[in-house]
Amino acid sequence: MGETIASKEMHEYFDELEARLKEAIKIANTARARGGDPKPVVEIPLAKDLADRVENLIGVEGVAAKIRALEEKMSREECALEIGRQVAEGEVGNFATKKDAVEAAIRVSMAVITEGVVAAPIEGINKVELGKNDDGSEYIRIFYSGPIRSAGGTAQALSVLVGDYVRRGIGIDRYKPRPEEVERYVEEVVLYKRVASLQYMPSEDEIRLIVKNCPVCIDGDPTEEAEVEGHRDLERIGTNRIRGGMCLVLAEGLALKAPKVKKHVNKLHMDGWDWLDILIGGAKTGGDEEDEKKNKIKPKDKYIRDLIAGRPVFSHPSRPGGFRLRYGRSRNTSFAAAGINPSTMVLLDDFITNGTQLKVERPGKAAAMSAVDSIEGPTVRLYSGDLVRIDDIKEAYELRPQVEVIVDIGEILINYGDFLENNHPLMPSPYVFEWWRYDYEAACSEKIPEDELKDPSSVLALRLAEEYDVPLHPKFTYLWHDINRTEFEALREFVIEKGNFSVEDEILRLPLKACMENGVKLILEKLLVLHRVKAGTILIKEALPFILCLGLDCHLKEKAQMPDTDNMVNAAALLSGFKVLPRAPSRIGARMGRPEKSNLRKMSPAAQVLFPIGNAGGLTRNLVAASNYSASMNGKIGEIEVEMGIRECPACGKETYFWRCDCGEYTRPKLFCPRCKIEVRNSETCPKCGRKLTSVANVKLDFRSIYKQAFENVGEREKMDLIKGVKRLMNGQMTPEPLEKGILRAKHDVYIFKDGTVRYDMSDIPLTHIRADEIGITAAKLRELGYVEDIYGNPLERDDQIVCLKVQDLVISYDGGGYMLRTAQYVDDLLVKYYGVEPYYNAKTIQDLVGVLLIGLAPHTSAGVLGRLIGFTRASVGYAHPFFHASKRRNCDGDEDCIMLLMDGILNFSRAYLPEKRGGKMDAPLVLTTRIDPKEVDKEAHNIDVPARYPLEFYRATQEIKNPTELEGIMDLVSSRLGTPEQYEHFMFTHDTSDIAAGPLNSSYKTLGSMIEKMEAQLSLANKIRAVDAPDVAERVLKSHFLPDLLGNLRAFSRQRMRCIKCGAKFRRPPLTGVCPKCGGNVVLTVHEGAVRKYLEISKEIGERYGVSSYTQQRIELLDKDICSLFENHRVKQLGLSDFMSGSAR
Amino acid sequence: TPDASNIPDASNTPDTLDIQSENILSDETSASNLVSDSISSVKAPPQTFSSRSSLDVNRSVSSFFGQDNSLSSFPSNRSFRTEPSSSEREIFLDSRDEYKHYPGKNPVTVVSDITGHSTCVGEYMQFVQYFRDRYSRLSEIIRGRINARPIESLKRRNFRRGGDGGSEEISIIGMVSDISSTTNGHKILSLEDPTGSFSVLIRNSDKELFELASKILLDEVIGVTGSITNDGSLMLATKLIQPDVPNSVQRRTGTHGKAVLISDVHVGSSQFMEDAWLDFLDFLKGESDSEDMRELAASVRYLVVAGDIVDGIGIYPDQELELDILDVYEQYRKAAEYFREIPERIRVIISPGNHDAVRQAEPQPALPESIQAYFPESIVFVGNPAFLELDGVRLLIYHGRSIDDLVATVPGVSYQEPAGAVLEMLKRRHLAPTYGSRVSISPEKKDYFIIDPVPDIIHTGHVHTLGVQRYKNVLLVNSGTWQGQTEFQKRVNLVPVPARVPIVDLENFDVKILAFD
Repeated sequence: MGETIASKEMHEYFDELEARLKEAIKIANTARARGGDPKPVVEIPLAKDLADRVENLIGVEGVAAKIRALEEKMSREECALEIGRQVAEGEVGNFATKKDAVEAAIRVSMAVITEGVVAAPIEGINKVELGKNDDGSEYIRIFYSGPIRSAGGTAQALSVLVGDYVRRGIGIDRYKPRPEEVERYVEEVVLYKRVASLQYMPSEDEIRLIVKNCPVCIDGDPTEEAEVEGHRDLERIGTNRIRGGMCLVLAEGLALKAPKVKKHVNKLHMDGWDWLDILIGGAKTGGDEEDEKKNKIKPKDKYIRDLIAGRPVFSHPSRPGGFRLRYGRSRNTSFAAAGINPSTMVLLDDFITNGTQLKVERPGKAAAMSAVDSIEGPTVRLYSGDLVRIDDIKEAYELRPQVEVIVDIGEILINYGDFLENNHPLMPSPYVFEWWRYDYEAACSEKIPEDELKDPSSVLALRLAEEYDVPLHPKFTYLWHDINRTEFEALREFVIEKGNFSVEDEILRLPLKACMENGVKLILEKLLVLHRVKAGTILIKEALPFILCLGLDCHLKEKAQMPDTDNMVNAAALLSGFKVLPRAPSRIGARMGRPEKSNLRKMSPAAQVLFPIGNAGGLTRNLVAASNYSASMNGKIGEIEVEMGIRECPACGKETYFWRCDCGEYTRPKLFCPRCKIEVRNSETCPKCGRKLTSVANVKLDFRSIYKQAFENVGEREKMDLIKGVKRLMNGQMTPEPLEKGILRAKHDVYIFKDGTVRYDMSDIPLTHIRADEIGITAAKLRELGYVEDIYGNPLERDDQIVCLKVQDLVISYDGGGYMLRTAQYVDDLLVKYYGVEPYYNAKTIQDLVGVLLIGLAPHTSAGVLGRLIGFTRASVGYAHPFFHASKRRNCDGDEDCIMLLMDGILNFSRAYLPEKRGGKMDAPLVLTTRIDPKEVDKEAHNIDVPARYPLEFYRATQEIKNPTELEGIMDLVSSRLGTPEQYEHFMFTHDTSDIAAGPLNSSYKTLGSMIEKMEAQLSLANKIRAVDAPDVAERVLKSHFLPDLLGNLRAFSRQRMRCIKCGAKFRRPPLTGVCPKCGGNVVLTVHEGAVRKYLEISKEIGERYGVSSYTQQRIELLDKDICSLFENHRVKQLGLSDFMSGSAR
Repeated sequence: TPDASNIPDASNTPDTLDIQSENILSDETSASNLVSDSISSVKAPPQTFSSRSSLDVNRSVSSFFGQDNSLSSFPSNRSFRTEPSSSEREIFLDSRDEYKHYPGKNPVTVVSDITGHSTCVGEYMQFVQYFRDRYSRLSEIIRGRINARPIESLKRRNFRRGGDGGSEEISIIGMVSDISSTTNGHKILSLEDPTGSFSVLIRNSDKELFELASKILLDEVIGVTGSITNDGSLMLATKLIQPDVPNSVQRRTGTHGKAVLISDVHVGSSQFMEDAWLDFLDFLKGESDSEDMRELAASVRYLVVAGDIVDGIGIYPDQELELDILDVYEQYRKAAEYFREIPERIRVIISPGNHDAVRQAEPQPALPESIQAYFPESIVFVGNPAFLELDGVRLLIYHGRSIDDLVATVPGVSYQEPAGAVLEMLKRRHLAPTYGSRVSISPEKKDYFIIDPVPDIIHTGHVHTLGVQRYKNVLLVNSGTWQGQTEFQKRVNLVPVPARVPIVDLENFDVKILAFD
């Protein structure tokens, strides 16, 4: 840690951010000193580095200094283990018991491993206990809970290792499981896989191996409703329900990350972990990796196993016609975001746009999409018969109505770093311009203009091939590998017999009718030989390279004999005498995952102030209604009954419900025993009965006068219709926010999250370079923000110059900008009218917001990151430097997270508002990272490549399906720049894009209405794309979405809960009185026939239309009959029939 | 009057239960040669088992289902049943339109069966009606034993009396709507009747009562006697009363011949044990190798199938991977082929289960006519559950979905001893007490799960294990299966008991187990 290593310019940037942050905090401190917040000072501590964050997060004093010292000498993981040992052995911190020390040690270790960002160390481990082995010795039980998921597999696994490491130092024995406990784990993990989901499912023997040998007992609290059936009521396992946290740590942690654990075990020379070898050895016997090592990439269908209605498949696994892999990085891709041509987005019926998540076949599981228009778009056959490639988005919109078939959906840009990160063998690169260029440069010294090189005429391409032996240019390289020998020969003969080539216009003419009859048209389409159809003739422009590859001369006479090979790429090469390389050897299957997101964050139900009003405000929780509420005909108006924490003022002794007394003093909770009803001071438990004390009681609150006073305090007129409060507070002390804040939020139409902050959510997309003109600002503004030169080192003067994005700068959607503007105006109102200080933002338009500071925060984490707003985008995403995303521990594979205004965060956030339940501390800015150190962000970001050009060796290596790690040395990776000023600057990209936000505004998944409409659109697209098997899509959707939904709802109907429409009370079964016993309101069903039948008709229809398997059709048929039998009165139907047939079953 | 307490019934002699089940389940070695063994054993019918178990002196000979057992279990000093006959009358009144009679040498009368009478259209009030019917009929049974008052009346009264207030004993009958524990480990039951609800406290100091309370299930109907606390908010229970079977139920006289009880055939499953099944069919046809078995077969009058005759389709995820026959109708055709081999002198009764091609919500109607048409005319198809009379012998068939719930919630009930679950049903006079868990219900006007009147035999299946018990003169049989262990069962550690067939003597209700594996 220590000093940030950066250029002078970057230092200025960081200093500027920090100076403005300090200034803002000063203002907030002044303001809060005057208001009714829980504390008179800002409650988000700043953390400059990881060590700070860990100490702030876990709260063990002195840890930060130790970590800094340790990090000098060792790696992050070693440091984590070592600090754990030190805490456990009492070198740092001060703990009452051995158990407490061990618990803190494990939490601190985990926090270090997870960069002190995620909530897992505090929320994912519920407690640590000591258990007793049958031989009387003690062992450690770590109780994991659901949020452990956010730690990731490695950290989960290492937490177990930490447990083992620290127990040795303090003389605790290993866990010795009983046989029935081992079997319980097996059943439980298997069951968890069914009710929840696991990325990796260890075999039963693997589970046994882990449980029998793991020296620490992986325990947990029940997280699922489901119970084990076989191994129940075990003495040492406190629950029969599933322990989700345990299952995660065991399966996705220890089992999946065994190799990583092993590495650390070896380094630390720990004994008792040899069994990991069996696990590692056993896991390797799987097929996939082995095969790919044998220079073969096999199709993987995992990504389409569970298909959801309305989320289309774009390509079946590795099928011709699917995405063609292109290696490279654009300024808006990498870090699990891939690029496609915006025309592809349009022609795939707008299902994909910027930020849309795709589940992909490889290299990872999912990727977010970004518009990159410098790669090839889709090739389509129009109704006219033309085969055209559409690279231009305008053309895409024009031609979309004429498209009959999407023969090829175009290229997908994936960077080397993503293969490296996923440790996926490099798939053979197609022969692309970037590669051809190396071959050209090596062979030819002629100076040819760049434009011509990129898009050469056939004459130039042939000349370079003939004179310099440069391989045939990609533009004239067809997909020979996609046809077989028979097709090749048929095509060749057809061209000889029926073809007509004129040397003048270089057009090959083929009779359309015969082409159709012989299937030659389809062969041309498979090869992606673009053509037009006019007057019954197929016209192929610049056809000479194609003719030569068929082994013909310009008179369409056979020049060479068909060679004896089944490899048609070789055949084309031998016949033409040129070097011809495979044009699309690697295809990538994909389907839609999640749509992109850009929307304000609302709790459900939405709230504008954390003020409880029970049922007095109706279902909308309207404070206005509550102020006029009366419990009975002659009840006091505005008096409501709510649960509140009772507090008292230590100065004047007055009782109140608020954080601050009218006299200005901070109040404290007035504790009493809920049973004995006696007031107790200076104790946490009741002296009489030993119960936990509380300050919470049901009180009659004169809400109307509080409400009126609040309006008066902020000088607003009482003419609002709706101010949304909450039913009940979730924080332990049950003390509300100042009501004034709610009034001002309602005035500006902003909503809050559980911690009192206003947030806006967006899909994460990486961005490394910007142009002023595409983010709605000017070069002048950019210079003001500290940008001085473009990527080529020229002074920044024009709006269209490309500059390198600074690591904490953000570009957000216009909609987000609008919401932030409203928030800024609310904050200003709050500062002026409530706190009585100067306004801070003074923003009238969103342009005024350029340069303001924001806090970025991801779900499951507890550390915000300081950012600066520099521009806006039409795309529904949040663009930021990959380091910024990584510092929140996000990658860009479809994740989303939020931003909030800095001043809103520091004014309104308080730990005191956070719900007192598991997970309550997640997604809250418990600390704020002020400066991004690339070393301390998620390591995934170190695998981003940033060169302007991939080396030739790279393209060659892909042909051998090499492991990406073999090339780490020659690729310009972030990891190689760490610790130098270059870690922040001078990044490049291989493929540019003219507009980062090109493409549809929103995915049609969001704009289409009902699920049935979406499904129809999905299937119609499936019918259009050559690489998609529509009946298979139909079958999979039925199997993985509609049928489970039908079954689930049918089951739910027959086991449903009931609900009171008046007070919302829920009942496990209907009350015998028929009406709500609490309020006398009407009780209704929660699952209706309509919900059960929802997908029945469409399932039947689709099943028939697409001829799905008879098994699936029968399942639908049986479900149909089941539903009819349940919802139709048999007596009505069968009246008479049974009378006549009485005495007989038939 | 005889002293009811000296009738040894299954409920208070758990030791006997253990030994019985051990005899059925654990004796793998002798079980495997049971068929050949039974040749010798059947020589002295009807004691197939006693003769075999007499080889095994260590085991409790007396406890098995042979003569010895019936002697000890059924002392002759019985009185006639004293339960109000109203319930009996009621059932016939209630179900006049459900009464179906299949005459012949082996007659069957269907006393209660949903088939053709389902009225559910999915409205809220139907759910209310369904539970009200349960309450009214079960509370009626309890009412004969305690003097209960409506719950609403507890609230109107002022129980706050000075001095020794609260000593007055009061009884209520309610449906359990919630069960919780206090921090001190007492139990609180929320009871509900059509007038209101009330909380009942069971103190853990009252060991016996507390143990009984820990077996109470949600939605069962119980009677409680106790006193009301001073503030009128709670009843302190001193007695819990379940509907149960009156101790004085007389053993009914049977008829002649035998009934064979099977379930869970699972035709179509790749685990279906066809060889064993064919042996079984041979037995029914009187083509067994042994003379004794042939003789035994000749005495069989009824074959009852308690559900899951095929494996079905889409019952659980990826079922297609474990099926030999993917087409559900083919599965039934195959099953029908088997059933056609059964001689006509045996009356076959088929009730559906959760794998069958009828609605999943219970009560389930009989298999659809299109499927019935595959089978021989003489087969009687009934719903699930179904209350029948086989030539005067009362048989209640229920597939047994609720056994899963009972195993999960009642301490001491396990898959290894499925009849124990049936016993719990009988004590509650209800086949599936708890709503909202594993049993899907169709809210019908009448609660078909109520066990009333008390049958002679309750026949269940579903869990693939074999169990036979007796409780107050009711024979409880859970028949096993014809399917080997499935992947799912392997995971949950459930060992099925395939190819074992309980055969009931309809004259004296003795049971023998035949093995075909």
